[in-house]
Amino acid sequence: MKLFKTLTATAVAAVMSSGAMAADIALIIGSNQDSFWNVVKKGAEQAAMVVEANGGSLNILQTQNYDNYGADLATLIEQAVAQGVDGIATVLPAPDAQMPAIHAAIEAGIKVTLLNGGGDFLAESGALNYFGSDEYVAGVAGGKYMAEKGAKHIMCHIQIPGTVNLEARCKGVSDGATEAGAKATILRVPANLDGDVAGTSAAIEAELNGDPSIDAVINLATWAADASSAAIEQLGKTDTVMLGTFDLSPSTLDRIKAGTQAMAIDQTPYYQGFLSVSTLAAHIDFGTKVATAPVLTGPAIVDASNIDATFAGVKAGTR
Amino acid sequence: MSESITQQKTDETAPTSGGFSFGELIRSPAAGAFFGMIIVFLIFSLFGFQRNFLSVGGLANWMNFASTVGIIAIPVAFLMIAGELDISTGAVLPASAMMLGITSGHYELPMWLGITMTLLMAAGVGLINGLLVTRTQVPSFIVTLATLFAVGGLTLALSDALINNTNVSLYSPDWAKAIFGTRYFGFRTSVFWWLALIVVFFFFLHRSPWGNWVFAVGGDAESARNAGIPVNRLKIWLFILCSVCTALAGICQVVQFNSAQSATFFNMIFFTIIASVVGGVLLNGGFGSVVGVVFGTMTLGIVQQGINYTEIDRNLSLLIIGVMLLIAVLMNGTFQKLATSWSTKKDKG
Repeated sequence: MKLFKTLTATAVAAVMSSGAMAADIALIIGSNQDSFWNVVKKGAEQAAMVVEANGGSLNILQTQNYDNYGADLATLIEQAVAQGVDGIATVLPAPDAQMPAIHAAIEAGIKVTLLNGGGDFLAESGALNYFGSDEYVAGVAGGKYMAEKGAKHIMCHIQIPGTVNLEARCKGVSDGATEAGAKATILRVPANLDGDVAGTSAAIEAELNGDPSIDAVINLATWAADASSAAIEQLGKTDTVMLGTFDLSPSTLDRIKAGTQAMAIDQTPYYQGFLSVSTLAAHIDFGTKVATAPVLTGPAIVDASNIDATFAGVKAGTR
Repeated sequence: MSESITQQKTDETAPTSGGFSFGELIRSPAAGAFFGMIIVFLIFSLFGFQRNFLSVGGLANWMNFASTVGIIAIPVAFLMIAGELDISTGAVLPASAMMLGITSGHYELPMWLGITMTLLMAAGVGLINGLLVTRTQVPSFIVTLATLFAVGGLTLALSDALINNTNVSLYSPDWAKAIFGTRYFGFRTSVFWWLALIVVFFFFLHRSPWGNWVFAVGGDAESARNAGIPVNRLKIWLFILCSVCTALAGICQVVQFNSAQSATFFNMIFFTIIASVVGGVLLNGGFGSVVGVVFGTMTLGIVQQGINYTEIDRNLSLLIIGVMLLIAVLMNGTFQKLATSWSTKKDKG
C-alpha cells in the first residue's frame, strides 16, 4: 500500500514536473580520446534514458585533451550555462580554474553536482553531491589486499611526483600495507618518464633487481602496470612478485584472467556517470536528494574471483 | 578595408583601379575566409539554435576561445607571410603561464615584476628562434620544433624542481585582474586585447613600411635583400613578436583562471596554423591579411565550440572539425581562383 502511494506520488510528480521543469543536464568530463570517459559516458547515457522519459535531455561536453585542462573545463561550464541547462554534472580536477565558473552557474540558478575528482572541494563548490572515489581510501584497500595475500614488501610507483591525487594513493597503499603488517616503499621516478612504457619498465626492473625483498608492485595507471609486468617477466619473477594497479584496461584484465596480475582497483566510472546524471535530474524534477555525501563509487577490487563478470561489463562498455 | 588589402598585394602585380569594385572585394585575401565563416556560422546557428548558440552567452563563449588563439595567430601569420613558421608557441604559452604563476604566485614577487620577467623570457625564446633561423640554414619548422620540445621540457623540469608540482595557482591583485583576466559583459579580457591587437597589427601590416617588408621578404627574400630590406633583422623581430604575443595570451590565461599547468599545449600549434591558413595566408609565404586571419580564427572558434551546441555525437567532433576546415580552405582556393580570373578579364578588357 505504501509502495503504491509512493509510486503514484512519483508518477504524479513526474507528470506535473515534466511540463514545468524537465531537467536539461550537461555532463562535463575529460577528453573523448581517453577510453576511461567512455565508461562514464555509458553510465550517463543509460541514466539519460530515464531523464528523457521525464521530458529532459542530456548533453555531454568533453575536452579535446588534457593540455589545457582547467581552462577548457571552465569554458565548457560557461558553455553549459549559455545553453540554458538546468543542471551541470562536472569533474573538478582544477578547482582554481573551475571554481569561479561553478559559482557563476549556481548563482544563475543551475544545480551542480560533482563526479570523478574534486570531492575534497564539495563544500566549497556549493555542489549537491560528489560521485567518485577517495584516492587515499582506494590506496588503503589496495595495500591491505596485497598484504593479506601474503606480500611482505610492497612498492608503490608514482609516475608524476608531486601530483596530489597520486601521492594520496601511494600514501594510502603505504598505510594500508603497514596496518596489515607489511612494509611499503614509494618509488618516485622522474616525471619525464610519464607515459613512457619502455623507460618506466627499465626503472622498475632496476628497483626489483636492486632490492630482492620487494614482492609486490602497485602502479597508479594501467600503462605503468604494463611496464611493471614486462619488468617482472624480464626478471623471471612472475611467481614471486605480485602486481596490482589502479584502473582497468584490456591488458590488465587479460593478465588477471591469466593469473599474472593479482588485482586492479576500480573506481567504477559507470556509477560516476550514471549516479551523477540520474540524481541530478531527480533533484531538479522531484526535489530528491541523496542524504549521503560524498558518495564513494570505489574502490572495487577486481581479481580472479570476479574477473568473469567484469569481462561481461567490458563487453557492454560499462567497466 | 578590403580595398587597402588589395592595394598591398597588387602593388607589384597590377595597378589598382580607383573606385569600388566587386572584383576587388572578392580578390582580397579576406573574402574567402569571410564567406567561409558566414557559412559555418549559419550551419551552427541552424543546428545549435535550440541550445542558445545565438545568445550573447553563446557568442561570448566562442569569442573567448577565439581570442586566445587570435592573439597568437596574427603574429604566426606574419611569420608565414614572411616565409617562416613558428610552432614553439605550444610550449611558450604554458611556459609563460607557469613562469608568472611561479614568480608571482609561489614566490610572491610583485605582479609587475613577474609579468616583466615572463615577457622577457618569451622575448628570449623568440630571439633564439630568430637567431637560429637566420644564422643557420635550418628551416624554421625544425628550429621551432626543437625549441618547442626544449622549452616544454624545461618548463616541466623547472616546475618540478622549483615548486615540486607541475601545476601552480596564482591569485592576482585587482588591477592585474582588471587588465588581464576578468570579464566585461561576459567577454574575457583577452577578447579586448585581441581586438586592440587586431587594430595595431592591421596598421603594422597594411599601412606601415614594415608591412611591405614582410610581404616582400615572403615573396622573394633575395630581391628583398637586394632592395635594401634588413631581412634577417626583420625575421628576428617577427619571431620575438610571436613569442611575446604568445606570452601575453599565457598571462591572460593564468590571471583569468588563477592557475597554470606545465603540459605542452600541442593543440595551440594546430589552432594558430589552421586560423592562418583558413584566413587565406599562403603556407609558402608572400600572401595574407590581418582581417583574413581574424575571420579564420572566428571560423575555428565557431566550429570548435559550436559542436557542443548541437545534438551530434561527440565522438564525431574531430571529424566534423576536419571536414569543416577543409571546406573553408577549399572555399578560399575557389575565391582566389575566381579573383585571378576576374582580374585577367579586366586586364584584357
